[in-house]
Amino acid sequence: MNTEKATCKEVMNHICDNLGEELDSPRCVAIKTHLDSCDSCKKYFTSVETTIQFYKKYNVEVDDNTHKRLLDFLGLED
Amino acid sequence: MSEELLIQKAQNGDRAALAQLVKNYEQTVYNFSFKICRNKERAEHTMQETFLSMVKNIGQFSGKSKLSTWLYTVVSNNCLMLARSQKKHDYSSIDDEDNLISEENIADWKITPDQISENNELKVILDDAIQNLPAEYRVVFLLRDVEGLSTEETGKITELSIPAVKSRLHRARAFLRNELNKKLSYEH
Ligand SMILES: [Zn+2]
Repeated sequence: MNTEKATCKEVMNHICDNLGEELDSPRCVAIKTHLDSCDSCKKYFTSVETTIQFYKKYNVEVDDNTHKRLLDFLGLED
Repeated sequence: MSEELLIQKAQNGDRAALAQLVKNYEQTVYNFSFKICRNKERAEHTMQETFLSMVKNIGQFSGKSKLSTWLYTVVSNNCLMLARSQKKHDYSSIDDEDNLISEENIADWKITPDQISENNELKVILDDAIQNLPAEYRVVFLLRDVEGLSTEETGKITELSIPAVKSRLHRARAFLRNELNKKLSYEH
């Protein structure tokens, strides 16, 4: 594969690896270079990151009643 | 008290230690169950069954793997079993990489993650999008990206190879991103 130039499509295909993965191969250096100068890739990259953040920040909490029902169910009441 | 000691005590029949283990993990298990089911009742049911399994099997727990890994495995299996018993997903959209990642649908989004807690409309959009994602992909995305587990740990829990985890993660991200893009981009 050509390591000097990367197309948007390739960048988008590899961007996922970029999030949370170590990337220092020549291919990835080319991708990062492309990314630095390509607006549509930046937007895509940002929207993938935002997608992950949405699901990370959407949380539910165990309330007191749910906690009590759980211990009841397990026969482990305080 | 260390988790190792708590587990030892629980294995010797100490119910307070068992209750403490439940307390330490109920938030994680409930939240993860919810993220898979997108339904609070089902999440509670899954949490109860998961801890029941822990209480019953704590004696066999070797301590070689982390208790959290073990709990994630029980919840994941529960979800995958349920998914298999339900309607089959249409895999064509997620298997078609050319359509999955397209240079055409790039747009800015009109909302940021910080707005999630007070935005019920966004919650519905997020619930709907992830429910369209086949369970086998959903579990990988949630374990790796949302819970922050390593690729190796995710592979162990889902019984997938490292390349299979990466490939599913890649497709899951692109799929969810496309689903959200339909609803959140400025152009619509
Ligand atoms: Zn580009």
